[in-house]
Amino acid sequence: MREHLRTQLASFFISVTLINLAMLILGCLLEPDLEFGYSAFAYPLIYGVIGSLPGLVMYSKKELTMKQTIIREIIQMLLIVVLIIAFMFGRFKNIEYDMVPQIIAVAVSVMVIYVLVHVFGWLIDLKTANKMTEDLKKYQARASGE
Amino acid sequence: MEITVKKIGETEKEYIEIGCHRKDERIDEIVRFIRSREGILKGTKEDRQYSIALPDILYIEAVDEKTFIYLEKDCYESGRRLYEFEEALASRNFARISKSVVVNLMKITSIKPSLNGRFSCVLTNGEQVIISRKYVPDIREKLKGGAV
Repeated sequence: MREHLRTQLASFFISVTLINLAMLILGCLLEPDLEFGYSAFAYPLIYGVIGSLPGLVMYSKKELTMKQTIIREIIQMLLIVVLIIAFMFGRFKNIEYDMVPQIIAVAVSVMVIYVLVHVFGWLIDLKTANKMTEDLKKYQARASGE
Repeated sequence: MEITVKKIGETEKEYIEIGCHRKDERIDEIVRFIRSREGILKGTKEDRQYSIALPDILYIEAVDEKTFIYLEKDCYESGRRLYEFEEALASRNFARISKSVVVNLMKITSIKPSLNGRFSCVLTNGEQVIISRKYVPDIREKLKGGAV
């Protein structure tokens, strides 16, 4: 569980950075004249927490197979899309037609961010794996020389 | 049969070479004896018991209530529990890498990242086994100079 929390925490910080970037790009494209107060700084953190919640809930003690992991990741991503959209647009009683492009843009952004978080996480793991392989070769050389 | 023992440098890898006209039962027996000096485990296959040399083992896996010992081509069953292997083989180049697997570190060719923060190690026969994130710190410690 501790390792899972550590992974989730790393994902949270990567998510917050990418959400900032997504807000900048989407804001410039969809609402370039909109102005914000200081509360705008809190939104990436709130979205980051919302994005991390399914990961905490969907923790499994079992060793999942590759297929189970992929299915779980897809469900988790869809859950995050639903949660973020509900948080952003839930306060509106009726969804206006002109809000649809915004909802689609948010959904696509969440999916892109989700994939990017995994890509960055994988790159960090790749570095760790390469270091472990290097240490493994030295270990094997030492053990063979005994 | 002439026996030659040659002293070699500290940096060189120790080896045993047998020169023979043909590889028969007599030679197999000598090889089995030499291998047994490096440690053996008992395993059963089709109701017959076998002695398995430690250096030949790729990994040991617990499936449900059973424990299996995997070699390049063969698989044997054992009555011992996985934690018993983990304890007994900790000083013999073996390490626990997940809830259900103890691997021979000498049989890993490389380590790769896998999905969901896990790693997988590629074994000498091409097979891949998963390393759980929980065991990564211990493995890294062992590889860096722990009990060899």
